[in-house]
Amino acid sequence: MDQDMTLLQTRISIDAGAPLARRNPVAKLAAAFVPAVMLLVTVDVVTAGVVLAAAVASVPAWGIGWRALFRRAWPLSVAVVTVAAGNAVFTGTKSGTALIDVGALLVTTDSVGVGLAAGLRVAGIALPGVLAVLTIDPVDLADSLARQLRVPARFAYGSLAALRLAPVMAAEWEILGRARRARGFGGDRNPVTAVRVFGGRVFALLVGAVRRGTRLAVAMDARGFDAVHTRTSARQARFGRADAALLAGSALLTAAAVVLAVAAGTWNPILS
Amino acid sequence: MRSPQDPTHPSNAPTSRIRRWRWRTVDIVVASVLAVAFGVLFAVWNNLIYPAISGPLTGSPAAPLIGGVWLLPAVVGGLVIRRPGAALYTEVVAATVSMLFGSAWGLSVFLSGVWQGLGAEVVFALLAYRRWGVVAAVFAGAGAGLAMGVYEGFVLNAPYAWDWKIVYTLCAITTGVVIAGVLGSVLVRALARTGVLAPFASGRAQAEV
Repeated sequence: MDQDMTLLQTRISIDAGAPLARRNPVAKLAAAFVPAVMLLVTVDVVTAGVVLAAAVASVPAWGIGWRALFRRAWPLSVAVVTVAAGNAVFTGTKSGTALIDVGALLVTTDSVGVGLAAGLRVAGIALPGVLAVLTIDPVDLADSLARQLRVPARFAYGSLAALRLAPVMAAEWEILGRARRARGFGGDRNPVTAVRVFGGRVFALLVGAVRRGTRLAVAMDARGFDAVHTRTSARQARFGRADAALLAGSALLTAAAVVLAVAAGTWNPILS
Repeated sequence: MRSPQDPTHPSNAPTSRIRRWRWRTVDIVVASVLAVAFGVLFAVWNNLIYPAISGPLTGSPAAPLIGGVWLLPAVVGGLVIRRPGAALYTEVVAATVSMLFGSAWGLSVFLSGVWQGLGAEVVFALLAYRRWGVVAAVFAGAGAGLAMGVYEGFVLNAPYAWDWKIVYTLCAITTGVVIAGVLGSVLVRALARTGVLAPFASGRAQAEV
């Protein structure tokens, strides 16, 4: 696993040999997409709960430690709470016993249920994707996009080349911050000044990025990147039986979650 | 993206109609690099700044008011590259990069990127890929904001009552216009002034404006 690509002290160790971590990147992404799309269609506790439970249960198979996962995904837990609270307050469902009733603010047992379902749903949509993304190496992803999804090679590898600059840009971001700090900018309590300093830092980052990109493009063209003729690939991205099995498993699990929700009577498509 | 078969095709003549559709290497790489820079920025914004300033707004229908930052790549990418698909491409790559760099949101970031990028792309397409000024930027920002508001307000915050959904979407459009549209076009003009956009029509147009 390429650890250069992580950023902002979220360097985490992943066992790249774990059964699910070894799968084809496109298979992983597709497997994470299936339940996510289904959860976009429904807001109910059972579907979201089953997907979330399965995702949590699968964590060891991805080769990700629990502490590492928490370090990466803790903002998600914050978001789940705020989404749940927001939906409980602003939902149109206000039946059941009133729990809070202050002026315009009315929270009832049923609206809390709605909020809970909305929060679980956000977690269920996000977590499988987080697991997939944490275990994907960008080089494998580009290979797999070009080979399995037939993304035009110039775009797949062009974006990969740019992605290789990301650690440089992250470092540059830090340097720009320190340089400004040394000149007495930044670290202000005054929000207006802080925004202006931040804006300047962003602009400097973008100028550097475009300049680097232009130079990189010339270098790539000089090596025949824009060649008209047939392109060959240095690495083979394979999509094997285990990859198909991962995809089928995800589809089966999603179907099972829906069947359970319908059986439990909580199935609640958003466009009904 | 098939290359023309003539041996004289390479990169520096984006004038004819075919050339306008074909991306040169520098288009692909600079769009990608801009997207990566925004992706890095998103990583900072998502992990350090947004949680700190969104406190009073989070979970309320006014939450999208500061979300315009996420729409910047679509507008900036479109204005700089000036190719069909540039807004969508830049936004999607930026979303993907921020996803690879530890967004807690997983694939929903990618989906948001697709919708937001499409929102801006549709506007540029409606302007026949011929208008790249402030007005076009504002409309593209509004398009991206509308897409963000509809996607988040109707899909992610599905239980909201209808009137709150409309407030939510209007807030999203506002942030799209102000942050992505106005700020985005100011940013592109400033970039052009530094000279780094020399390989692009957006850099050359600056002298005339």
